[in-house]
Parts: sequence; structure tokens; C-alpha cells
Amino acid sequence: MDLAVRKRRAPRLGLPLSLLVALIGCIGAFVLPPYYAGLLTLIGLYALVTIGLNLFMGYAGQVSLGQAAFMALGAYTSAVLAKNFAVTPWLGTIAGALVAAILAFVISFVTRRLREHYLAIATLAFGIVVTVFLAQTDYVGGNSGLRGIPGFTIGAHALDRHAYTVMAWVLVALAVAFSENLVRSAYGRALVALGSGELGAAALGIDGDRLKRQIFMLSAVFAGIAGGVYASYYEFIDPTSFNFLVSVNFVLMSVVGGLRSVGGAILGAAVIVALGQALQILMPMVLPNATGDVQTFFYGLILIVILVNLPQGLLSARLRRPRRAA
Amino acid sequence: MSIGAELWQFVLSGLVVGGIFALIAVGFALTYQVSGLINFAQGEFAMIGALTASSLYAGGSGWPVPAAAVAGVVAAALVGAVAYLLAFRPSRGYNIVTLIFISLGLDIALRGAALYIWGTNPYQLAPFLNGNAVMIAGGSIPPQAVWVFASDIVLVAVLYTFFARTYLGSAVRAATINPSIASTFGIPLKAFAFWSFVAAAVVGGIGGVMIAPISTATYDMGLSLGLNGFVAAVVGGLDSLPGAFCGGLLLGVAEKLCGGLLSTGWEQGIAFVLLIFVLVVRPQGLFARRVRRA
Repeated sequence: MDLAVRKRRAPRLGLPLSLLVALIGCIGAFVLPPYYAGLLTLIGLYALVTIGLNLFMGYAGQVSLGQAAFMALGAYTSAVLAKNFAVTPWLGTIAGALVAAILAFVISFVTRRLREHYLAIATLAFGIVVTVFLAQTDYVGGNSGLRGIPGFTIGAHALDRHAYTVMAWVLVALAVAFSENLVRSAYGRALVALGSGELGAAALGIDGDRLKRQIFMLSAVFAGIAGGVYASYYEFIDPTSFNFLVSVNFVLMSVVGGLRSVGGAILGAAVIVALGQALQILMPMVLPNATGDVQTFFYGLILIVILVNLPQGLLSARLRRPRRAA
Repeated sequence: MSIGAELWQFVLSGLVVGGIFALIAVGFALTYQVSGLINFAQGEFAMIGALTASSLYAGGSGWPVPAAAVAGVVAAALVGAVAYLLAFRPSRGYNIVTLIFISLGLDIALRGAALYIWGTNPYQLAPFLNGNAVMIAGGSIPPQAVWVFASDIVLVAVLYTFFARTYLGSAVRAATINPSIASTFGIPLKAFAFWSFVAAAVVGGIGGVMIAPISTATYDMGLSLGLNGFVAAVVGGLDSLPGAFCGGLLLGVAEKLCGGLLSTGWEQGIAFVLLIFVLVVRPQGLFARRVRRA
């Protein structure tokens, strides 16, 4: 059975939502003070990763605790190509997305038989192996990472801070439009069927393995693109920018925003980044003599409260808690 | 030193860290078996045990070592009990993956709390007994390692006796084999879930107290201990306490051999390479008998 997208259905939310998203990004880039515009860029890049993760987790019903590794591959590929081979980041980012997709392809064969927490464990393991590999490889700077990564240029003009914010949010808008169309297509319905139960999906003639692999690779492409832009935007990357805790954050963004919703990914990314920032600002007022990242205590606490009370995410309509039958 | 002696030394050092991983791994397996929950905050109980004991000891000016050690384990148990009641009791019956996310939130919260209480400074606990390094067939281990092995053996004996020889232990086993039937026989699943979580916290706390004299105690030690204990549990088998325990020893040896022969930076990497290998070849774990949890 051919599950490819055959006809475009009129998206109910895709176009307006993606236009709104692009508009927010463009206005924010010029209105906000530089620090907050920087946060807006970061939210955009994280949202891009989370949109891909939402397709994989929310729609296809899988789980990945290693998404930061794909972002790392995108970032490192683009950075190495730009620094050592003078390849423009435009091409580098595309190459990075390709490398991420290839790794996802390889991983999908290993994880083919794994479900639920075993899949979570396997993806987590791959994510950590990638960061250890990057930290131990001198060619990519080892633990100290890569500095002075060249930026994006249009003709002879280097992109400035505003342009990066706009670019990040245009990418988010494209991803939203693409994903909203995807989930409303025959392909998307096959995904949802797969997410509801693999046996039932197989009975409908859906090739679950192939579908899972494709959507995993797609999520890796989103993360790889975000990584390529991230590298040029910050001009500096190291393995800790993409470690296990970053992967955890992506999952939390996905879950907090609401898994089965494309717009939820943006909300989740915004909430998690804003939460971290707000706590950083509020903490000194509450506990003046605290040092270091003490706010992580409240960060963890708030996440527990959200997850325990709204396990379906903030955007979910169903507020009733699923209870064990026994 | 000959290659053979060097390898033997790596194996010995591996068994010492492996002895600690084994304790954390047993904690993972305990909560997983009794309440079907993978608690990523498991390593933080070791951190709480280690930091409580070391800070009470305060470099010799505070509590004596035995009292500080007991206090460390008690603190881990209390934190475990409170954490369970606040985070996991209300989320009973959630999907296992959601529970993993909640435990990750707990992990972050506990690390933040420890940072507030103890700051970033490392604390050191004195060895339980002073003395020279213990020689075993030409290799040496620190005297504290004897305590690590002793606590390992005692805990294994206690857990084995509990599960195999006591009435309560067989009730717990019944609850893990088929929760719904067990509960119709009046087995209190909720209470078992709570006490297994506290028991896991105690075992983790003991691990932390035991390792505090060997490596210094810091607020962020739990993350690495937790990940290693978790890998050990999956490698050995989440469904089997002895499996998880052996997984810990195996992982410790594998990491030290890799660190010694290749580079210490790869230690954490080899753990996860091993994990992927086991997931592909034998997802239920190397030492587990049952194929999958019902």
C-alpha cells in the first residue's frame, strides 16, 4: 500500500499558524532588546527540534531521549565544513541534516524491535555515545569544542543578530506548515494508527518499521537543521551544548506542550526556556545567598507538577487522569 | 608491571566501582519490578547519602563516622519516601514513559536542592577503618573497598533471604508476577510500591555512603552514578535483582578496562556501547531468565 502523500488536504491550522509564527519571530527580532531577542532565537531553534520530536513521539507513538545528538551532528558537520573546508553554512546545514538523517537511519535498524522504555533507553544510549565521541575526538576540538564558527552570509553580507532570529522563526514556520500538512495527510493518519497500536496498524497494511524509520529520520533532519543554525549563531559549540540533559529538555518541551500537537512544540519550547530564565531572575530575590544553578530545584519541581497533573501536556483537552484499572 | 598484573589491577578497580554501580542497579531493579517504574533519580539517593554523611562528619570535627554513615542512609530513605509520595503516588498507573519523565524532573529537583544545601564544594568522608591498601594476588584495592564488598554481600544476602525465604517476600514476588490477581488476594500493591521505592533509596544511600571515602562527595555525583547504575541494571536485567547486581560488577570492570587500555574519557562511552549491544542481542538483560514482564 502506498502511503505517500497523494493529495493535499486543506490544512485547518497549518497556514495561519505558520504565518503567525513567522510574524512573531520577525516582529520580536526587531522589537525586543538584544538579550530577549537572543532567547527568542533559541526558543525558535529548540521549537524546530521539538516539532520533529512531536511527530515521532506524539503521532508515531515512539520515544527518543537522544534528540540532542542529531542537533549536535548538524552543528558539528556544519561547523567543521565551514571552518576547515570553507563551505558556506547554508550547504553545511543541509549536509548536517543529511548526516543526522543517516545516523537516524542506522539507529532505526538497531531499535527496530524495541518499544516504550527500551526504546527510550536505546536512544538515550546513542545520544550519550555521540557526545562522548565528540568529546574524545580531537579533530572536532574534544571537550573544548569549536570556536569562531563562520556565520551565514547572503552575497557579501553577513547575517546580523536580527536576521538569525528571523531565520530561526521562518524555519519554524516552514516546519509547522510542513508538519501540519503531514499529519492531516494519509501519511499522518498512518502515523496516528501506528501510534495507537502497532498490531492494529499492521492489520491495516501499514509498514510500521518503515514508517517509524522515516519519521525518525525526519525528526533528525529538523534537529540537524536547528544544529547547523545554532552553530553559526553562537559561533561556538562544545559537547555539553548537546548532552543528555539537553535531550531530556527536548522531551520535556514536547511533553509539556502536548505531544500530539504541532503548535504544542512551540509552546513547550517557549515555556521551558522561559521557565529557566524566569527562575534565574527570580531566584536571587527569594534566596539572596544561593549560588550556582539553584533554580534547577524549582525547575524540576514545576516539571513534576506539570507532568503529574497534566500528563497529556498543557495543550491537551483531556484533563482527566488515566487511572490504572487494578 | 607486566600486562597481566596491570589488567588484574584494572579488574580489581573495576570491581570496586562496580560494587557501587551494583547497589544503584539493584535500586533500579527493585522499583522497576515492584511498581513498573524506572526511576532516573536513583543516583541522587547515593548523592544524598554521601553528602549528608560527609557534611555531618565535617572533616573530623563533627559526628563520628558510624553515626554520620547511618544518618546518610536515613536521609536518603526520608528523601525517597517524600519524593515517592509527592511525585509517584499521584501518578500511579501512568504510562511508563511519562513516569520516566517525572523521575527526570525529580532528578533535576534533587540536584538543585543539593546545590542549595551543600554548594559546589566537595566533601570528604574518612574511611571506615584506617589501614594500608589491601593486596589481592598482586593487585591493590583501598581499604574502603573491603567495606564496599562487605555491604554488597550483606545486601545481597538480605534481599535474597527476604524474597526467597519470607512470607512477605513471596507476597512481593506475587505482586510483581501478576499485580491484579495479587491484589484480589489482598496484597497491598500501593504499600509495596511505596516500600520498594524507599528500599531502593536505602540501597542507593548505602552505596553513596560507601563510596564517599573513596571519591569525594559533590552535589552532581548522582547523575553519573545514576546513569551507570541504570546501564548496569538494563545490561544485567531489570527483571532480576541478581542480574542487575552482576550487571553492576560487569560494567565497573568494563569501564576500568576501557579506561586503562584506551582512555578514561571513553569510560562512559563504553558503558552505553555495551548497553546498545545488550539491547540488540538480549533486551531482557544478560542475566535475566524471564523474557518480558507480563
